[in-house]
This record gives sequence, C-alpha cells and structure tokens, in this order.
Amino acid sequence: MPETAPLPLDPRAVRLDATASGRDDAILQCGRALLEVGAVEAPYLDAMLERERTISTYVGEGVAIPHGTLAAKDVVRHDAICVLRFPEGVDWDGERVTVCVGIAARGDGHVRLLSELARILMDPGRARALREAAEVAEVVRLLQPIEEDQ
Amino acid sequence: MPERTVTVASRAGLHARPAKLFVQAAAAQEVPVRIRVGDGRPVPATSMLAVLALGVVRGTQVTLDAEGPGAEAALDSLAGLLARDLDAEEISGG
Repeated sequence: MPETAPLPLDPRAVRLDATASGRDDAILQCGRALLEVGAVEAPYLDAMLERERTISTYVGEGVAIPHGTLAAKDVVRHDAICVLRFPEGVDWDGERVTVCVGIAARGDGHVRLLSELARILMDPGRARALREAAEVAEVVRLLQPIEEDQ
Repeated sequence: MPERTVTVASRAGLHARPAKLFVQAAAAQEVPVRIRVGDGRPVPATSMLAVLALGVVRGTQVTLDAEGPGAEAALDSLAGLLARDLDAEEISGG
C-alpha cells in the first residue's frame, strides 16, 4: 500500500450545494475550483473534458473523479483536489452523480490521490457522511487518510 | 486456486483509465476474479474503487485469482490486458 498523507484539499475548493446543467458543466465547475486555488492553469479544464470523453471517471457510490489527461500535467502547478456536491444529482452517462472530486496531480501523484480517495469512498459510512456533511470543515475532515489496517 | 502474477505495464499504473478498462474486462468474465498486491487482501477485480485503492503503479506485480469453469481463460485474458501499456493505446495521449 502507498504511504498515507493528507489529501491536498483546500477548504475554498469545497462546495456543498452546487447545481449543474449536466456532466460537462459539473466537470468545468470542478476545473474552475482547482483554478481558483491556483492548482492548475486554464487549459487543464479542456483536458478534463477530453479525459471524460475518452472514458468515464464515474467510480461508483454516486461519485465521479474528473481529472485531466497525462498530456495536461504541464499545466498542473501543484497537487490538489476539490469536492463539489450536487444534491440534485447530475446525469453522468446514465449514472447519478452527487459528489464530484476533481483531481489535479503532477507526475505520479494521482496514483496516491486516487488510492487514498478510493479507500475513503469504499467505507460506506464515510461515503455517506461525505454526501451528507453539513459543514465544509467536516468534508475536509472526512477526506483525511484512513489509518492502515484498521 | 488458479492464479496469475503479472507486472502492470501501463505508464500511469492502474488508475482511472487503465483501471476502468481492467474492471470492465473483469466484469465481462464468466467467473469472479480477484486481484491483490503481494500478500495483501484479494479484492474483487470488478470493483473500481477496490482496484483504485490498491494504488498500483507501473511495474507493480499483481496477482489475479479465480475459480470455476473458465477460470484459466479468464485469468489469461486479464493478465494479458495488464501486461499491455493501456495508456499507449489511447490516441489522445492521456
């Protein structure tokens, strides 16, 4: 297992109550959240759409993890994630997405980010708490790494 | 139980895209297939989250196992997939 470290989530990149007109709108909102915290440059947003067209980033549990293509790593300034919740749901190629975790990572950083995120989402209690959290601080707390072998 | 140990060839490891292709291929098999890293706990190869959680990078050795009719063919097929650089097969380079 990879070593654990806090997921790089800036509280300013958390939205509890977002709405989107569709999948691409939700992805662009994630991209803008990453842009606003200085994690990526503008071309990353197109790369996120391109990635999604190649293959869906839906991972189950009502969660999608949009991120850019490998070719867009040059426009990532630092590793970061954002969390946008869509309580009304977004149609994601037939799946209903209520939580988007946007990801920006340099080098191989995404493997660790995805692994940590997946381990959190596999815990049904945590996944539910993430969907229902009423405070930004709670979302940030829920995305702290799970201890090894608990 | 039949097993195959294979070194993951995809440039970026088993993350979103190669992981999805692998999970889809696993779901298309007639027998349940599990995947593990080293002595780790085997997880269903059909679970995207479980596969992502393994944190597999290029060069990681993973072991697949399956039991039942068609297990050997399923393992050969999936091991063959992991041994290919699935990122290189993406035209748009991501």
